[in-house]
Amino acid sequence: MLIAIIYLLFSFIMENIMGNIFLSTLSNISFFTTIYTVCALVVLLPYFANYKKYYILVGIFGLLFDIVYTGSFFLNFFIFIVIGVVINFLYHILSENIVMTNLISIVCIGLYHILSFFILSITNYADYSIMLLLKVILHSLIMTIIYTSISYLIIKWLYNRFSIRQVK
Amino acid sequence: MLGKKRKSIPKKYIVIALIVLLIIILVGFSLTLKDDRKLNPAESVIRDAVVFAEKVITYPFKYISKEVEEYNELKDTSRDNDILETSLDRIDSVETENIELRRQLDELKEELGIEHTLSDYEYLNATVVSRNVGFWYNTLTIDKGTYSGVAKDMVVINAKGLIGRVIRTTAFTSEIRLLTTSDTNNKISVHVSDGDTNLYGLINSYDYNKNLLEVEGISNTKSVNVGDYVYTSGLGGIFPSGILIGTVTEITTDSYDLAKIIKVTPSADFTDINYVSILKRKSDGE
Repeated sequence: MLIAIIYLLFSFIMENIMGNIFLSTLSNISFFTTIYTVCALVVLLPYFANYKKYYILVGIFGLLFDIVYTGSFFLNFFIFIVIGVVINFLYHILSENIVMTNLISIVCIGLYHILSFFILSITNYADYSIMLLLKVILHSLIMTIIYTSISYLIIKWLYNRFSIRQVK
Repeated sequence: MLGKKRKSIPKKYIVIALIVLLIIILVGFSLTLKDDRKLNPAESVIRDAVVFAEKVITYPFKYISKEVEEYNELKDTSRDNDILETSLDRIDSVETENIELRRQLDELKEELGIEHTLSDYEYLNATVVSRNVGFWYNTLTIDKGTYSGVAKDMVVINAKGLIGRVIRTTAFTSEIRLLTTSDTNNKISVHVSDGDTNLYGLINSYDYNKNLLEVEGISNTKSVNVGDYVYTSGLGGIFPSGILIGTVTEITTDSYDLAKIIKVTPSADFTDINYVSILKRKSDGE
């Protein structure tokens, strides 16, 4: 559990660090953007036998995302929970390996942007086009694959090296 | 026990319940996703603590990138120096003119009994600590909050022009909504100037494909030229007047041929914002 929390915290802080390195605006989207916390949630699920604890972590980090980064109220909490459910579902139908983990990561990053886009558009917070949504998802692909692959290998190595059991 | 059958809820009720729940959630979001939502004390404390921790952790990264940037700038110093030397001669005369104009302005204000004009403001400098995480919110977080005197709706600029405005504050941080947001709720009053005439309009939207702001509300009979400067007008009560927004790049007319649609290239570079200044407009009540 400790490794999972540290890894999630690290990914959470990475949002800020990488956001300052690969600058991204609506008119100039970097090819190296992703939602690192969502990638971390994807990589971590197979190490949880107790899904209740997993969803608690998902909720906490969704709330933190709301408070620290977006200033929204329970929006990212809701999106993260939905993503958590989708991750769980996808791991039940797909096998757990680096390719599938990357695939799930890409689906979840896409889902994050789609949900954010629709909720913000429906609630009249801002006015964005579908083309921008597609552009953002496409620009997220490279970093999502890089971060998920590196994380997958490191976390797997850590759990094997120290014979850590699944979180129960 | 044998005779008891477990009642199952019909599927249609589950679907209806889910739709109702979704509607409630969306209504909740539409009520809370507003710039005027104040953070509660718990949210403020958590945000301050996390931003402080992040500031400490990201310091080495920022230090290295700053050093690299400074080294690159140093290479161009000689060329910049030559340009600066030519403009140095003009500074004395501009400064003298500035002093004279300020004296005249003060005299006129005194005569008219005005304490502050729309262009009077105080500066407060801040550093950007996080930017546009989550992408869709188009915001920046800076390291100054209510403790330093920052309040909601204060205007934020950098050396090149207007950046945005403060939408949320905690004790030690503030969130800035960038000007480059197609925000249907907040229109900014601007004036277009070629040096002699002033025309007033509203920034209506932002074209993120071309990085252009769209100004509407200027009559088609008025003359606007490509290259004219666009400033804040000071009308509307939020922005002080005279802050540079950008220059006119494209001029078209609306579908009825009654008003001009002016495309403005923002003067500020929104991809490279590290330091900003917060402006506090002086009001007559102060």
